[in-house]
Amino acid sequence: MEIKIMKNILDRNQNKAGEIRELMRENKVCMINLISSPGAGKTTLLERLCEKLAGRYRTGVIEGDVTTDRDARRLQRFNIPIVVINTGGGCHLDSHSISKALTHFDLKNLDILFVENVGNLICPTSFDLGESFRLAVVSTTEGDDKPAKYPMIFRQAKALVLNKTDLIPYTNFNIESFRNDLKKLNASLPLFKVSATKGDGINEFARWLEEQIINS
Amino acid sequence: MHELAIAENLVNIVKDVAAGEKLSKVTKVTVCFGKMVQVVPDLFETAFRAAVADTVAGDAELDIEVLPLKIRCNTCNTVTGPEDYCFVCSACGSSDIEIESGRELYVKSIEGE
Repeated sequence: MEIKIMKNILDRNQNKAGEIRELMRENKVCMINLISSPGAGKTTLLERLCEKLAGRYRTGVIEGDVTTDRDARRLQRFNIPIVVINTGGGCHLDSHSISKALTHFDLKNLDILFVENVGNLICPTSFDLGESFRLAVVSTTEGDDKPAKYPMIFRQAKALVLNKTDLIPYTNFNIESFRNDLKKLNASLPLFKVSATKGDGINEFARWLEEQIINS
Repeated sequence: MHELAIAENLVNIVKDVAAGEKLSKVTKVTVCFGKMVQVVPDLFETAFRAAVADTVAGDAELDIEVLPLKIRCNTCNTVTGPEDYCFVCSACGSSDIEIESGRELYVKSIEGE
């Protein structure tokens, strides 16, 4: 006999994400899920953002990493709460791992919680973490074809950071082609061009982020 | 490789439904994936086989339906199915669209006895 189910396969993840979103709302925490390829510069971007924001907003970080705590150690100098989730080979974070990590934070004393997802442009897009919004980070050295190849994240993200703009002269990255692909995918997606190592464009992006945090 | 995590979640749902319906054997599992979710059917089949082994659905046939991308224009209400990931209405050129289909990730049905 046939039994109709019609159920979201990831409903267990979705339900937990819903609980997390409610918990964040109660505690007025803005949770930001950073998604990019490995090596796009999420941690360096977080270092710049912590320099700009961590003094004025109570900031915490969840570091998703397949293995090692190297990214977390880079952020230790900011004296902020950081929890590492080692996925042990898993290519994305899910809401249950976030829920466990949250027990280590004093949410009442937090304004911003950055979640650095595992470097991957496909898998994290299927797993809602209960975040307030997603940020996509792409670097110029990856090539200008990432939006065309990985459409989902560019539809989901609230903004896109194009990192390593200082390296454009050394690559074949074509900003016009990149913009044209983005326009087809998500014409209203705000694009911030930055160099997280040099600091270019960080002020403008941090200002935008601050507006989102205040309005969230 | 989100296929494995998705397969594990699927097998848990199949086991729960089979237990609830008192099935001794699940013979077929049908899932629907939207094109944008980028699940690779061959990889998913492998992941499903690994996750389902030694369960009530261990010998079940897996049927994967990939649903095409469909967008509805909020300006002129036309529904189109772009071949590439172009989220612009081909009828009027507006980018103000809703995705009608293409993001699905659900288990449609199971068959068993």
